[in-house]
Amino acid sequence: MASEIDLFNEYPLHMDPSSKAISLLPSSSQTATQTAAIAAELQELNALHRSLISLDPPNIPPPPLPVNPKRSAQITKLRDSGNAAYRKSNYAEAIRLYTYAIDMALSRPGWEPVTLAREELAGLYGNRAQAHVGMQAWPEGLCDAKASVDSKPVGNVKAWWRLAKCLAEMSRYAEAKTFLLKGIEIEGRVSDGGKELVQLLEDVEAALQRMG
Amino acid sequence: MVDWLSLAVPLAYLGVLIGSLATFSSLYRKRKAQKAASLEAWFPAHLQRDIYFSLMHLDPSSQSEKKTPAVPESVLKASLLRRATEDIRRVMTLRSQKQALSMLLQRGSVGDDLWQRFLRAEKEMEDEVRDVVAEANAYVPGWGQVIFQSANEMLNNDLYRVRVAEHQEKIKEEREWWDKKKSSIQEGFMKELNEEEKEKKEGSTQVPATPAKGGESVPVAVAAASVQGSDDDAVLVEADPSVNSPGSPSGGGKKKKGKGKK
Repeated sequence: MASEIDLFNEYPLHMDPSSKAISLLPSSSQTATQTAAIAAELQELNALHRSLISLDPPNIPPPPLPVNPKRSAQITKLRDSGNAAYRKSNYAEAIRLYTYAIDMALSRPGWEPVTLAREELAGLYGNRAQAHVGMQAWPEGLCDAKASVDSKPVGNVKAWWRLAKCLAEMSRYAEAKTFLLKGIEIEGRVSDGGKELVQLLEDVEAALQRMG
Repeated sequence: MVDWLSLAVPLAYLGVLIGSLATFSSLYRKRKAQKAASLEAWFPAHLQRDIYFSLMHLDPSSQSEKKTPAVPESVLKASLLRRATEDIRRVMTLRSQKQALSMLLQRGSVGDDLWQRFLRAEKEMEDEVRDVVAEANAYVPGWGQVIFQSANEMLNNDLYRVRVAEHQEKIKEEREWWDKKKSSIQEGFMKELNEEEKEKKEGSTQVPATPAKGGESVPVAVAAASVQGSDDDAVLVEADPSVNSPGSPSGGGKKKKGKGKK
């Protein structure tokens, strides 16, 4: 049994001497699905290698905490300018800025804490959803609000409201009601946001009644 | 004086007994070991681990050209990280399965060999994790303590990003759906508007809401027939001509619109 740890399947790999990219040499010993799986894995590996090389020596990912503050600062800056554009009702510009911030938050290296990424993206998606609501672009707002709620279900009452609002505006009252009930269950009725959710729920139920 | 002859019988008996027991035992054990060895592995082949070792063994001399340099350490480190990520996934799977499986085993719902396979997978993963920590410490002292933390975050980040990407992919679908729905709503709305205008123009107060009314006038008998089949179809088919010729105040046009409203 002790020797089992040393057993492995050897693959005919090849390294490009200049770019150090690893690739699989064509051979007949693997099936097509295996080859595809290996190729996908190697692609991930090469991507990870590139991000490792950009680090300082000794080229290992640092422990998850503390986080490099540079990226966070940039994201905050983009979000703030997005908020400013939103306040001036310049929704298209706000969406553009939020999208930049989202892309930047998404490209955080994988070894940074996932809770941080969730927190950040929940806010950004929520804001972008609000900007879409401002432009009456309900489907985009719906998807962004869904992403926001999925990132951070608790303490994200605005995103719940926007999600239900978009659905209600598209006359999808039954779906809106489901999400509102879920949101109220998580956020509670007593808080300010909770009251707004209850209010919207009443409207949605009235609309459902009207439709019969 | 020992009577060897009379002792021979019990001794032979003992000899045969012990011999047969020993043979049975060794055969039984051998068969059991064979069975255990032939048990299916819990997980499929560890792809990341295979790649890591393949890279380790990818020495320049084995290549036909001599100029291929040795694999740089950073590639091996990246590969080790991938391996640790996969290990985390497997350890998590084992942990989540353990309780359910032991419960099933107690109730007798699953066989013993499934449990054997599970225990073996657990032990293999323990060795694997220890091996990864040792390798990491060999690259950079102290990395072994944090490599699994990093790998865990990488795994969770990956999972999270996939979910977010799923939400974002739906945007196109939702937009198409909404555009379609919006245009149909607008069409209905425009039709109502048109009709109201027409009513004002003609000064007629009666609202041609009932499809049965269409049957009375001869020119629209065909349309009325299709209405009886399906209201929605009739609206869709006849929407175009009525919109294209809004100026013709024929009785037929009026009735078609009446159906649209209904």
